[in-house]
Amino acid sequence: MPIYAQEPGERPKPTLYVVDSLNMEQKQTFFQGFTLSGDIFGPIQKFVSDYGVFEGALRINFKNKFFPIVEAGYAVCETTNEDTQVSYNTKAPYLRAGLDINMLKNKWQDNRLYLGARYGISKFNYDISGPAQTDLVWGGSKAFNYKDISTTAHWIELVAGVQVKIWRNFHMGWSVRFKSAISKGRTDYGTPYYIPGYGTTTSGTCWGATYNLSFDLNWGRKKNPTIVNAVVHPVENENTTTRHPEETKEEEENNKKTE
Amino acid sequence: MRKQKRHLIAIMVLTALTAMAGLGAACSSNNCPLDNTVTCNYYFYDSDNNPISLADTLTVSVLLPGHDTLYTYRLVGSNTIKSRTRIDSLVEQGYREVVTITRHDSILINRVVNASYFQLPMAYFNSGDTLVFDYFNLSNNDTLYIDHTNMPQVNLPECGSYMFHTITSVKSTDAAIDHLEVVNPNVNYEGKENIRIHFTGTIE
Repeated sequence: MPIYAQEPGERPKPTLYVVDSLNMEQKQTFFQGFTLSGDIFGPIQKFVSDYGVFEGALRINFKNKFFPIVEAGYAVCETTNEDTQVSYNTKAPYLRAGLDINMLKNKWQDNRLYLGARYGISKFNYDISGPAQTDLVWGGSKAFNYKDISTTAHWIELVAGVQVKIWRNFHMGWSVRFKSAISKGRTDYGTPYYIPGYGTTTSGTCWGATYNLSFDLNWGRKKNPTIVNAVVHPVENENTTTRHPEETKEEEENNKKTE
Repeated sequence: MRKQKRHLIAIMVLTALTAMAGLGAACSSNNCPLDNTVTCNYYFYDSDNNPISLADTLTVSVLLPGHDTLYTYRLVGSNTIKSRTRIDSLVEQGYREVVTITRHDSILINRVVNASYFQLPMAYFNSGDTLVFDYFNLSNNDTLYIDHTNMPQVNLPECGSYMFHTITSVKSTDAAIDHLEVVNPNVNYEGKENIRIHFTGTIE
């Protein structure tokens, strides 16, 4: 409670306070729980195109700033080009691991704006088939149908995204990802058209997106100290503008009574 | 506060939809190579490794899989009869039968002059190609034997399938050719030089 210097019967003069922001930062609990999330964009993409993913993620919350994350998914690609009649099919899991950093200055709020990076890997088999290959010069023809071609691909991703609280511990958010392949897993039969978790290999880099619904499993996370638990210090300088919140409330109540 | 949250969610949804539309548009381009003919590229050099243009008129033919069998029947006082099938009755009549077996062949380059290189496809389903060089000013021919492996390829379904090759060994006769050199064993549609044919003699 603030201490007032006053004469008997005199209305107390307010003392000015500043919030010790450094102290606020130190009050953040280091481990604040887990976040489970699922991607909504991947299944919709599969519904409207030849490929898509079913993906979930587990994220750890350190000080509401650092979020180590593991993303695991199962990708499906079943495509046949109408002009060439060449088909490419794969169904395989993939794994991504990395770190997100919450870029918002106020780490006490439930919304997050984050930047991050990932390393992704997928070991997968794929099938290619198409019209029989015919040698017009030397003669001969052979069916073009090759199954279970095995390979492994690696890539890295840069991630930017947002996440907002929609209800209680439920959040919704999206991320945009810039992906660059370390190895596309080229085989004797060529470069795979689609890498699970990475996307199509039409160029050296690739863009991706997720739209997540997530649930926070909070663990010792505290509420915003600026309202409930702020550490404040009295200041003698009258030019200081920040006031103690309880004192402001008290003054408002007195004003109402006077009116 | 609630209004602010609603606005935030609305902005988030719109931005996500715009980004997804952009992603969809970015994936619709065609990335097939413009020049997608798979050829083995042969370049001419002298024996000192200087690039040259061949002054002689050159015809290149390839020996194809399969054989032709020709039956020739001759009898003194009678016309010569040629047939692709055996005629037993002529043998019974006393005709002399000569059987000639020849490889199928096909001329792929006909009487080219001042050539410094040429490009030829390789066999899809055989592991060895035989090329015959017929020089206009030389009575002898040269024969090149190119051994290779074949590998079907698909990179993008929209581009179709290809047959790539890897050259494993080369050799030739020496009527005009000094030696052969494999500079790039991978035969694909990139158009790189694959085999150097070093002819006898130098340009100096």
